Amino acid sequence: MATRRHFLKLTAAAGLAPAVVSAQGKARVVVIGGGFGGATAARTVKALQPALDVTLVEPNPVYTSCPFSNSVLADLREIGQQQFRYDGIKGSGVTVAETSATAVDADAKTVTLADGNKLSYDRLVMSPGIDFNWGAIPGYDEAAAQKMPHAWKAGAQTVLLRRQLQAMDDGGLVVMSAPANPFRCPPGPYERASLIAYWLAIWKPKSKLLLLDSKDAFSKQRLFQNGWAELYPGMIEWVPLSQGGKVTSVDPATLTLTTEFATHKASVANVIPPQRAGAIAAQAGVADRTGWCPVEPVAFESTLQPGIHVLGDAAIMGGMPKSAFAANAQAKVCAAALVKLLAGEKPQDPIVINTCYSLLAADYGISIAGVYRPDKGQLTDVPGAGGVSPLVAVGGLRGQEALYASSWFRTITAETFG
Amino acid sequence: MHRALLPGLASMILLAGPATAADAPPGASSCTGCHAPKKVADSVIPHIAGRKAADIVTFMREYRSGAWPSSVMGRIAKGFDDAQTEAIAAWFAAQPE
Repeated sequence: MATRRHFLKLTAAAGLAPAVVSAQGKARVVVIGGGFGGATAARTVKALQPALDVTLVEPNPVYTSCPFSNSVLADLREIGQQQFRYDGIKGSGVTVAETSATAVDADAKTVTLADGNKLSYDRLVMSPGIDFNWGAIPGYDEAAAQKMPHAWKAGAQTVLLRRQLQAMDDGGLVVMSAPANPFRCPPGPYERASLIAYWLAIWKPKSKLLLLDSKDAFSKQRLFQNGWAELYPGMIEWVPLSQGGKVTSVDPATLTLTTEFATHKASVANVIPPQRAGAIAAQAGVADRTGWCPVEPVAFESTLQPGIHVLGDAAIMGGMPKSAFAANAQAKVCAAALVKLLAGEKPQDPIVINTCYSLLAADYGISIAGVYRPDKGQLTDVPGAGGVSPLVAVGGLRGQEALYASSWFRTITAETFG
Repeated sequence: MHRALLPGLASMILLAGPATAADAPPGASSCTGCHAPKKVADSVIPHIAGRKAADIVTFMREYRSGAWPSSVMGRIAKGFDDAQTEAIAAWFAAQPE
């Protein structure tokens, strides 16, 4: 409703009939954030309606993918294989502004950039990813992340954690801390624990991994725990919230993590801190008190600021998890809806799929899938659909899913970055 | 089955133009996260653009019923009824291979 009303107000104010190309020029779509959500949204809008003026705002010339970055920790991939440039997006007719967005004015419909320019938009797409709640764990701030890497934004942090693992003596203790829900990539901490164990089992087999968790249940839990028992018996110890898993403070100088029950001295510490939507979301007024961004389930338009659509990890997408696949799928739905809205038409109710693979070893993959549609104002699981890999694998299924995972990565990065 | 799909397919072709892709049926745009519109080297995931609609529908039904073993596709196919599946199949059939 807000969408329609707002659109009519916009076109009335401009004295225009609903049309993509106005007398004043092309309708403008600005996209903030060049990850799986934003880059896909920018490309798809331009592909669906070449007459639109599409600008992608992204300060980094190279994107480093979080999916498959746990494989970098396990020496299965190099960090360079995680990296993608924006040349394909530029080549598709999207203007890339290589700077960051410093302010959004939802009333004036402008985005202020760090290079001093200001962009006007008819529709804004925000896909800002996550930022960390520094200080939510006392002792864990940006400086501490240089000693106890989060590696939850892939790149230098991933390389730092890998280097620390490689420098560790055999027999060392790797301590991980996983946050409460919601956070980026729900199965990610457990895939990471698996792949670190995979690497330790080869190179430092006397070592152990302690996974301190701020929750009592996690994604694909039985598949992970069965896999750990099968592949790495005795190596991974998971401590749930109810058994003192919540980390209450850390000391980066001594690599200690303190819980309600105990203090753990780590050889290598990986703290995945609590998160919220990327900082620009709060500035734009699209984040609520949870730190995340509520949206309607058809075009993913903010319920707080009309004319701004929010995608991916930053958004509250009902039952959909915060995954790269989800961000890419949401971006394509949003792009099609935006083109409709800018043409004065009503977007159709979408169906959105999520698929997410996790590796427990180089040749051992598991998956979760879900199908979602709008229901009672939010994206909701289609009953009877979705679920995880079977607990008992027959016919080489785990190996097959590991192959599907790597094929998926090649496909989605090609679709997103060209 | 194939005949029943033809009217839908024909109308898609008639609509060909800038807005066609925006009018992909619900669910179709998610598929390309794994099933690339253009062929991707070394992918074990089947390429479905340009495949016969009837074949896609048959696979989806068999995945859904479990008659054809699958990893994620059985779980995904259960999220779509016959009409939704047929619309998606017709749309992929109409895409360039």
